[in-house]
Amino acid sequence: MTSGDSRTIRICYLYPRLLSVAGDRGNLFALMQRCAWRGIHYRVTEADVGEVPDFTQCDLVMLHGGQDREMGVAARDLAAKSGALREAIEGDAVVIAVCAGYQLLGHSYAPVGGPPIPGLGVLDVTTEGGPTRFIGHVAAECELGSGTKRVLTGFENHSGRSYLGAGAQPLGRVLAGAGNNGEDGTEGARYREVYATYLHGPVLPKNPWLADHLLSRALAHRYTDPGPLAPLGDRAEADAHTAALRLARRQTGKLRSATAAMSRLGRSVRGPATTRRAARPAGSGAAWTSR
Amino acid sequence: MSIIASRRPAKPGTGSPAKPGTGSPAKPGTGSAAIHPSAQARFTLALAAGKAAGTASRALRAGGGTSFVGKVALRIDPRVLGKVAAASDAHTVIVTGSNGKTTTCRMLAALAQAGGLTVTQNRSGSNLLQGVVSAAVRGSDLRGRMGAQLFLLEVDEATVRRVTPDVPPGTFLITNIFRDQLDRFGELYSMAKALESVIEALPASATVVLNADDPLVASLAPGAPARRVHFGIRAGGASPLRPEHSADTIRCVRCQHLLSYRAVYLSHLGDYECPECGQARPDLDIAVTSVRPSPGSGSEITAQTPAGTFDLQVPLPGVHNVYNAAAALASWTALAPPRPLVPAQAQRAMAALRPAFGRLEEIRAGDRRVVLAFVKNPTAYNATLREVLRRPGRKHVLAAHSNTVVDGEDFAWLWDVDLEALVPQLARLVACGTRAEEVALRFKYAGADPSITQVLPSRTAALQAALAATPPGESLYIFAGYTPMRELRGVMQRRGWVAPSWKE
Repeated sequence: MTSGDSRTIRICYLYPRLLSVAGDRGNLFALMQRCAWRGIHYRVTEADVGEVPDFTQCDLVMLHGGQDREMGVAARDLAAKSGALREAIEGDAVVIAVCAGYQLLGHSYAPVGGPPIPGLGVLDVTTEGGPTRFIGHVAAECELGSGTKRVLTGFENHSGRSYLGAGAQPLGRVLAGAGNNGEDGTEGARYREVYATYLHGPVLPKNPWLADHLLSRALAHRYTDPGPLAPLGDRAEADAHTAALRLARRQTGKLRSATAAMSRLGRSVRGPATTRRAARPAGSGAAWTSR
Repeated sequence: MSIIASRRPAKPGTGSPAKPGTGSPAKPGTGSAAIHPSAQARFTLALAAGKAAGTASRALRAGGGTSFVGKVALRIDPRVLGKVAAASDAHTVIVTGSNGKTTTCRMLAALAQAGGLTVTQNRSGSNLLQGVVSAAVRGSDLRGRMGAQLFLLEVDEATVRRVTPDVPPGTFLITNIFRDQLDRFGELYSMAKALESVIEALPASATVVLNADDPLVASLAPGAPARRVHFGIRAGGASPLRPEHSADTIRCVRCQHLLSYRAVYLSHLGDYECPECGQARPDLDIAVTSVRPSPGSGSEITAQTPAGTFDLQVPLPGVHNVYNAAAALASWTALAPPRPLVPAQAQRAMAALRPAFGRLEEIRAGDRRVVLAFVKNPTAYNATLREVLRRPGRKHVLAAHSNTVVDGEDFAWLWDVDLEALVPQLARLVACGTRAEEVALRFKYAGADPSITQVLPSRTAALQAALAATPPGESLYIFAGYTPMRELRGVMQRRGWVAPSWKE
């Protein structure tokens, strides 16, 4: 670790025990290590149910996935945090939101057969439960304003279908997998410095370009002249990214051949871009709705 | 699995020959029905072909036919499992849950044999439909009659719904529910709902044995007619009051309030109570009241049961094996009609247990040792790590994961494993399997220096490299998912270091 760098990023990790079902804390590990390897200081504040952190002191807020029961608990608690969080977001604090965390930042989430769960409404996104789960590898192409297109890879596991309104732009275009809804080719959402995605896996370690984008925006939130991020030897990250992309592409290949076979049989292929194994019945009630 | 599933009739009777004597006139074109084998002949053929397939597979050293027998038998008669169960007088015990199925079954089989019962059971880990059918075919004669008095099955959580209609269990045991392969199982709660529906369908004559220390398991199907038996730990002494990171059911199942724990023994297993609505751990019918470290590896436990107090030596390390022993003891004492068990016999049976293959299995590999650990979810991996970290010395590690139908596609759960605790003791890491890159990345972010990490997807090459890097006299620790664990064990079997798993 280099010394002499006095820059400090303040991270707020929301619901570390409530919304953390699929290795989501890997996103936090990615940010912490990528700071540490560069000698950048970080301070992590955890905020669980009933705890309201001072969001105005945060540069980066993390909000992850959970199952329906946990999501309901989080939604009720988030209502108490909403004013401060909204203010932080309008002040360009960086937010990474994954899966249920993504849905909670939208207007609402209506599970199949259950009452709608209200969201924070900072993202112009509405989510409803669907009859099947999207489970599989995903790849999406993103362009976050630098003009450079980057590929995001990861894994999705959700039955919620999210639809973007005019006030939100997608995080990326789906190359493989379902993304927001399996229909319109969008994946995730963006608003100011909020980055929301359905990809877990976790998403940041094997997409270091996104981790570094979040870190540089968080530094820009704290410092007027934050300076550039030092490059890191990302060999393991690049290998894991390539491997994940290969899995996502293989899945698309399977889908293409299945589509071709179906059309030869004169039947249309309906529904999302997932593999046969990935789409499964959602059953009834809240049990199968989105994480 | 999918092949078998699609061949399985949707309703009883569909796709199988017409029952004799139904009196319905044969339709034109089905006049050849008379030359179709009768249901009994088809059944016998399925049993014979399955048995022959198993013999041939073993003779060809093709893996012992742990599921091949079932595959062949199911192709010939999709209803073979139900027919064996119907023809059998054996008491059926079905064991399911996230962790501990295999070891609990080994313990229960040992207790049963000590108590004078003959046992037919499926082979370690072969717990999908084909593995269950294989056990039924191997354990019965050509008329489908099972010789054993106890038919003991470990069944995958997602498969159990497809087994219980054919094989109604007299005893149904749920060990625990942890996050495990969410890409295969969906949500934790959908899994719980499925198990609940199995319990609700059991008659009043059946017994359901539940881990009372798991808040989700203990809450299942409270109004079901089956008799309930609860097991758990009620031991004094120091234990943490906060579940580890990967714990799942830490909120009240009824009102979602955070549970308060008097003691946590493993992940979210412990003595809990909801401070909001009062939902608490049920009273224990089988209670482990004392856990003492054993001079060797393992524990000495005292268990109070309706059949008396047992002092047992559990020769397998870790509190998870204390739970497995409690589960086995609970299933045994819950047998109806009750079977006597002399404490001395139980002691001998338990003390003689060896670990199931891949459960911290010690293997001599020339002048080095291999410790093979099967890891498939955060709780099992963390429990294994705790045992390994107790051992002295720096650790040479081979970590292997592959995406397969059995192992799943999503390895996000590796980030819920506390590998950070291993890294300070890590001397060398070889990552292998089809997800070797993901494994290496996880270790990098846990703090492993890339200069001591090697990525070698091939199982054979990785084992060779990892052993070569392990100094003579020292141990290589292998942490592997199910498929690469079998593959690595296969490599060691060919070198004569271990016996084939089907000889277990």
